[in-house]
Amino acid sequence: MNADGHKSAGLSFRLWWTHPGLRALAALLLVVVIGLVFNAEGAFFKWATHRDLLRQVAVFGILACGMTLVIISAGIDLAVGSILGLSAVFFALFSLRWGWSPFLAVPATLLAGALCGAASGGLIARLRLQPFIVTLAMMVFARGLAKWVSGGQKISTAVELADGTYRYGEAPPFIEFLNAKVLADNVAVVTLIFLACGFCCWLLLAKLRWGRYLYAIGGNEEAARLSGVPVGGMKLLAYALSGLFSAVAGICQMAQEIQGDPEAGAGYELSAIAIVVIGGTALMGGRGGIGLTLLGALTIGYLEKILSINAVGEAARLMLTGLIVVSAVIFQHRRK
Amino acid sequence: MNIKIITGGAVLLLGLGLGERALAQQRQATPQRYAQASWTIGMSQCNLGEPWRVQMNADIRKAAEEHPELSVVFKDAQNDTLKQRAHIEEFVGAGVDLLIVSPKEAAPLTAPVAAAFQKNIPVIVLDRKVLGEQYTCFIGADNRKIARAAGRWALKTLGGKGRVVELKGLMTSTPGQDRNVGFREGIQGSAMQVIFEADMKWLEPNARREMESALARFAEINLVYAHNDPGAHGAYLAAKAAGREKNMLFVGIDALPHEGQAYVRQGILAASFEYPTGGSEAIATALKILNGQKVAQHLTLPSRVFTRENIDQGGAWLPNE
Repeated sequence: MNADGHKSAGLSFRLWWTHPGLRALAALLLVVVIGLVFNAEGAFFKWATHRDLLRQVAVFGILACGMTLVIISAGIDLAVGSILGLSAVFFALFSLRWGWSPFLAVPATLLAGALCGAASGGLIARLRLQPFIVTLAMMVFARGLAKWVSGGQKISTAVELADGTYRYGEAPPFIEFLNAKVLADNVAVVTLIFLACGFCCWLLLAKLRWGRYLYAIGGNEEAARLSGVPVGGMKLLAYALSGLFSAVAGICQMAQEIQGDPEAGAGYELSAIAIVVIGGTALMGGRGGIGLTLLGALTIGYLEKILSINAVGEAARLMLTGLIVVSAVIFQHRRK
Repeated sequence: MNIKIITGGAVLLLGLGLGERALAQQRQATPQRYAQASWTIGMSQCNLGEPWRVQMNADIRKAAEEHPELSVVFKDAQNDTLKQRAHIEEFVGAGVDLLIVSPKEAAPLTAPVAAAFQKNIPVIVLDRKVLGEQYTCFIGADNRKIARAAGRWALKTLGGKGRVVELKGLMTSTPGQDRNVGFREGIQGSAMQVIFEADMKWLEPNARREMESALARFAEINLVYAHNDPGAHGAYLAAKAAGREKNMLFVGIDALPHEGQAYVRQGILAASFEYPTGGSEAIATALKILNGQKVAQHLTLPSRVFTRENIDQGGAWLPNE
């Protein structure tokens, strides 16, 4: 390693480079440049393309918000995709099938998601079980519950009547609203929900004592415990919030599909983890932040969109995604 | 301490609830006539994670309920080949009178199916094939033929020319490949061109994303052909969000009553092509076999097309070629 060569690069550059936010930004710019080059006959220069990718990444971003809290506390939550599916089914059941008002359906769905998360968190905190295995169990359980509650079928506006025919309801206005675009059709509502979730996480992590506790637990759990941090309670909180955000994502997913699919969100936990890690939050815990996750979400979102508008084939798409994700991470973590 | 008690209590209550519900379902599934049923059929389903396969089981259940002498036991292999193998062996061990298998994949399940067949248990293979001839009857539809019909329908409806977006299922699966090749055969030699194609892995959110890309790139799209109805629905939602859903037609495959047929009825899809589950045909064939009648070893299921014009008449049968 040529250490002398790096020295000549200058102090200011090294300071710049050690800031994780700037490194995440550099990774994002790298991907955007790919888009500028491969712009699919100008499709990349249309605002609609960017608006759509911001809509599409919202659900993953919301999951990643909760995941960030958990990962900062040195945990992992594999259940977010399944809780998303379960929440989508619950919300469809409440609002489409039973016709509940959104003022009842939304809190009930959020409560269900938060309870699932709290169940994981409770087991992890009280019985000191491995987060990986507990949330893996929750992942399987919640998926099963979603299939059971829905009878294995998507819950949509079409309702089967006793004589075998179907009645078609209209989607309630609230769901139409969630699926709509605002600000003169320039921003999807779900994008704004994602930003709101990010803002809540930022408040928690940067402004509240609870946030500092999460960093402390992730940095050194035993030291945190000895200095009086309520480790168990904080872990419970982190997983409950992760469940809550998964339910928010489930509601957004359901509103965009206008149906509750018990299979929704399968595999999404990996995308959420990828977003958090690409942003630069350490999987070992203790370091990172929600701003990084926002940048990570944009990086993944742009990557998928660029491959999609260029109609890249599935095999090449998977390989390129793997390569670009790994390059982005290497690019970020190169430090001396 | 309190939390432990509360958690424990909640788990207990939940367990009781689940158990109660499961028992209720069990009771529903096995009414009194179970004791009088003279024939037990084992149904090995490869994956109930797909709505189409849920429908297959529902069709079998519905058809069997009309025959009090039949009792059907269902097993779901959750998309796991070895689990399905075990299920087939369990059915053989339990001595069912007839076996219906909808296999996950051909090669690994050929041996257990053949073993059952050699023990003189009649086997009906549904939808996907096994290798060789060691089964009583295969019932399935022809994806390629259905996709070809979809291509011809598109050609006729658009007047011989047009710009098409194709949203493909999983191209590593045979249904995906057949639905791709068949459609291309249907529009072959015409002025119709596929301007954008992408894998959506049978999933609606993916279809919506890919369709958004197609819309961003092409100002004129005349028809969207998706390999399944949820894919076509996702494409419709993308076009609707862009205010362009009226400028193009959406066509899907499968035509499940609560999916494709419902979308056609709602005016979302212009057409949905049925990929029949074969559930009721399987029970009809099973009865013939159990009553000692001869059946053909291959039964290709006919398929219907549902359009806005014919949906109230129950669709139109595709012509035999």
